[in-house]
Amino acid sequence: MRLLIVEDDAPLASGLSRILEAEGHAVDVTERGEDAVLAASQEHFDLVILDIGLPRMDGYEVLRRLRAAEKPIPVLVLTARDAVEDRVRGLDLGADDYMVKPFAMPELTARVRALLRRSQAHGGPRIVHGPLALDTVARRAFLRNEPLELAAREWAVLEVLLAKVEKIVSKEAIIQAVAGWGEDLSPNAIEVYVSRLRSKLEPAGIKIRTVRGFGYMLEEFKPAPH
Amino acid sequence: MPARSLRAHLLRLLLPPIAALLAVGAVVGYYSSIEPANEAYDQALSDIAAAIAAHVRTDDTDYRLDLPPEVETALRTDRYDKMFYRVLSPSGAHIAGDDKLPVSERSTAYDARFRGEAVRIVTAPAPCGNLTCTVLVAETMVKRTRLAREFLISSLLPGILIALATLVLLWFGVGRGLGPLARLSEELKARSPRDLRPIDAAGAPEETRPLVSALNGLLDEVALAARNQQRFIANAAHQLRTPLAGLQAHTELALAQPLPESIRTQIEQVHQATMRTARLANQLLALARAEPGARGSSSDVNLRGVVEAEADGWVHQALERDVDLGFELGSAPVQGDALLLREALANLVHNAIQYSNNGGRVTVRTGQRDGQSFAEVEDDGPGIAPQERERVLERFYRVPGTRGTGSGLGLAIVREIAGGHGARMELTEGAGARGCRVALTFPHG
Repeated sequence: MRLLIVEDDAPLASGLSRILEAEGHAVDVTERGEDAVLAASQEHFDLVILDIGLPRMDGYEVLRRLRAAEKPIPVLVLTARDAVEDRVRGLDLGADDYMVKPFAMPELTARVRALLRRSQAHGGPRIVHGPLALDTVARRAFLRNEPLELAAREWAVLEVLLAKVEKIVSKEAIIQAVAGWGEDLSPNAIEVYVSRLRSKLEPAGIKIRTVRGFGYMLEEFKPAPH
Repeated sequence: MPARSLRAHLLRLLLPPIAALLAVGAVVGYYSSIEPANEAYDQALSDIAAAIAAHVRTDDTDYRLDLPPEVETALRTDRYDKMFYRVLSPSGAHIAGDDKLPVSERSTAYDARFRGEAVRIVTAPAPCGNLTCTVLVAETMVKRTRLAREFLISSLLPGILIALATLVLLWFGVGRGLGPLARLSEELKARSPRDLRPIDAAGAPEETRPLVSALNGLLDEVALAARNQQRFIANAAHQLRTPLAGLQAHTELALAQPLPESIRTQIEQVHQATMRTARLANQLLALARAEPGARGSSSDVNLRGVVEAEADGWVHQALERDVDLGFELGSAPVQGDALLLREALANLVHNAIQYSNNGGRVTVRTGQRDGQSFAEVEDDGPGIAPQERERVLERFYRVPGTRGTGSGLGLAIVREIAGGHGARMELTEGAGARGCRVALTFPHG
């Protein structure tokens, strides 16, 4: 994937680009907002990592122009400010995610992966999560390239969880996504579907964690060390 | 009682002139009514004297009073007063009546004492041949004293009533007149310390406008100072956080590479120190932001929503330490600064996770108890001994022998933020007398 980092702090920019290159991405770095807007208009990027505190044209303005260009490039905003208004303003302007400096690198790479996956999933019929692959058009699932039998409700629950890897999905959100109009689905029913999914997916190393009193979280797939 | 009561001041100012006016009014009223009355009584005595004078008889050398006993009895009879009379010859010799009734040369009506009592005496001439005899008629002062008392009371009473009414009206009038000020002070008292909006001058009466506008000027300046500090903090945050993020990125990059063991250990130390510094910087900023005057806007915040929005990050922190982080969330609406409330809860959760044992349980609860919103975090770790519970709220204090890398600021921040929201902060044992539970209970409404 091709990423653009817009960050005026040289040590941070070089650190970020090396980490993301190590993840296998092609990374371009610019320290000026004007250059970022120009680059994005001329070339294709899969994700922009944008610092808000830039000299002259600040990150909000860059974000506004990127959005005005009607190119649906995912934008991950980095900021040193964490005031709620800043966060809201960034998200209002169309940022896809938001991180407050300083941050742990594994968290950054996880969010980058999630954003890329989400943007690929848009219109893409195939969702891949480690050894699991879902063909959303044919509605067929594969685990380690073997066909996987999923009941309709299990499929729906899995789809909701896959859309938010590493994020907690509340039981209410799952019920809303899974239950049809006029249907009454109890939280207990959701527990049943999740436990069936677990028994099918855990042997392949895919973990669904229960967050007590809240919901579930599909963990990032980590290949088991050999 | 205030040091200088406006009521007392007005009373001190008004009482002497009112009392003086009252006294003057009473004196004038008394004399203007008592004199005609005395004259009427004198006239009655004078009539009696004239009646007696008609009974004075004269022959060549002698004068005598020829008063039939029934007439004398009638003359001497009065409902209230004792009556006396005396008749004197032209030469001043006693002819008849009560001897020793005092005679005055100067006046035809005068006050005197007779038989130990105060009397009023009126004289009348009686023709005695070619000469003139004198008739004195006296009566005691019972009627007159009584009348004088009545006049005094009737001239004083309306004045006293008017004065009392004035004082009562003054008392309540001051209360009523100060009503707008009382409402103003109620409004100020009800304000949260973070609310620096100007006071609405529209409803205030003309006289309090200068006060309101002076207060608004002050609020304006405080708000400006708060905004400046806020901007300074934001800048400081940027200046600190960006290089820290760079430092963190590079140490993590270095650690991802194969390194000789001795260098790896050192870089790990650098990494640890970087993380600690980052957290410390965040906490100092949070503390600065929580200071009164530097606070942001107050709005409707639901603690449940705050927890739900942060749950992702907290769960990941918990996973790193193999802690089971759970939630029991009910609606908990409060008035406050969403950012600070998030910071407070994040500190409580961070502490609970940090000081839990591996495999421990941490539970975050929000909801309402007795109509008051609360948020609490409970762990089943080693807990805080009762004698340490007060001290852990102090800045930079850490319980001796505590593991980990905390700065000792977390609970101090929570206390500061709770205090700013009028919330009560309680440290107790967790369920089953294990671990620690920190609860924040917010005021009604």
